[in-house]
Amino acid sequence: MTAKTKDGKEVYKEQKIYMPFPGRMGRGKEMGRGPYEKSGLLRETSLAPGAHVHETFEVSYPVIDVKKGDVTRRELAADELKVAVKLWYLPFGEFDGNEVAWFEAEKNLDLKTEWVWH
Amino acid sequence: MKKILGMGLLACSFILLGAVHGFGAGGPKTEPLPKAKTIKELAARYDSGKCLECHEEVHKQWSNSLHSHSILGSPRTAPTIITAVDAGLKKFAYSGVKEDKDLKVEHLMICAKCHLPQLNEATDDVAQEIVATIRAWQKAQKDGDEAKTEQLQETIASLNIGCMVCHNKVALIHKYADGYPQPDTVYGSKDGAHEAEGLPKMAVAPAMGESILCGQCHGQGPNFEFDHPSQCATLYGSYLFSYMAHGGSESCQDCHMRKSGLGHDIQAYKDEKMIAMAVDVKVDGRSLFWRKNKAEGVVPIGVIDVEMLNKAGHVIPDG
Repeated sequence: MTAKTKDGKEVYKEQKIYMPFPGRMGRGKEMGRGPYEKSGLLRETSLAPGAHVHETFEVSYPVIDVKKGDVTRRELAADELKVAVKLWYLPFGEFDGNEVAWFEAEKNLDLKTEWVWH
Repeated sequence: MKKILGMGLLACSFILLGAVHGFGAGGPKTEPLPKAKTIKELAARYDSGKCLECHEEVHKQWSNSLHSHSILGSPRTAPTIITAVDAGLKKFAYSGVKEDKDLKVEHLMICAKCHLPQLNEATDDVAQEIVATIRAWQKAQKDGDEAKTEQLQETIASLNIGCMVCHNKVALIHKYADGYPQPDTVYGSKDGAHEAEGLPKMAVAPAMGESILCGQCHGQGPNFEFDHPSQCATLYGSYLFSYMAHGGSESCQDCHMRKSGLGHDIQAYKDEKMIAMAVDVKVDGRSLFWRKNKAEGVVPIGVIDVEMLNKAGHVIPDG
């Protein structure tokens, strides 16, 4: 998930990964990648069948703290954000040309209100 | 108590009766055919081209699926087989493999159990030939030799999960009850005559429409039957122990063949229809001033809520 200001500056980038973590030959704490070494699961964060998964992302708007004499005022440096949410399927765990975009959405957020922190 | 026991015995007797009469049209275990000595021989034995004349539409669908090039893969499977040889088999102290010439069918079956189950009908020379062909294909790609790449790719793709793998070799699962697949029979949903040279009979495979048929390969976890268990797919495990355990009732074939309308073009993560059937995603957003704490004060934030629902009968992703 990314958020950009109106002028295209990226102010937020976060990702969540859903995947099985197969154990390396079913022992210890190391994950295996190849089928000749994967055995069992150390951890499983894949989406389970029927599961509702809810993620929340908190994006801080860029602010400027302006000092005037003894008073500091916080002002919004941008009051609009363009948020992009993408769900990728990476069959081999990399953006290697085999990735498939499963879902994409854009949201415009704004805080267009007169606001001074006091 | 007696009544309950009586009903239990009655149920058992029905089950036994079923077992005695059997369900499928398999037969006694047959003498295996002589081992195929080359890729060409093995490919010819399982050539789906023989089915094309009468089953054109199904053949066309299958040709677009990964089943039609199960050793080549996306094409990531073939290179992964080489990784399994070089980074796995050759490095394991007791595998008996130090060089490609040491490779036996037994070694490649950790991949071939699912990617080419008919490999157990071939000699060790074929196992070595497969690895040599993949290596030559990789080299041709590296050298930019397009003609050779294409020719070798065709050879690799000639080894696949064709019609006679699902409709004969692995069609009958419970062989003590249903019998062993017969070499003159194609198994599906009908009994009767089958107008094809060498395959004059059709018979019902009782589990052809059931998830267990796919579960033979699309796995439950480590393949413990091997001296060195391999693990690729765990889909059938999550289907059984998560999807079914939470009230699921559909089969692999229901979604991947029937509801998708894809038939034998069995697809997964790359197909738009399957993606739409797999996950619902909803995104909401709003903004607010968060009076966080004394140190940071009021922080203007955007809150993005993402809700996902896995509608599939298995974990996403898998592997």
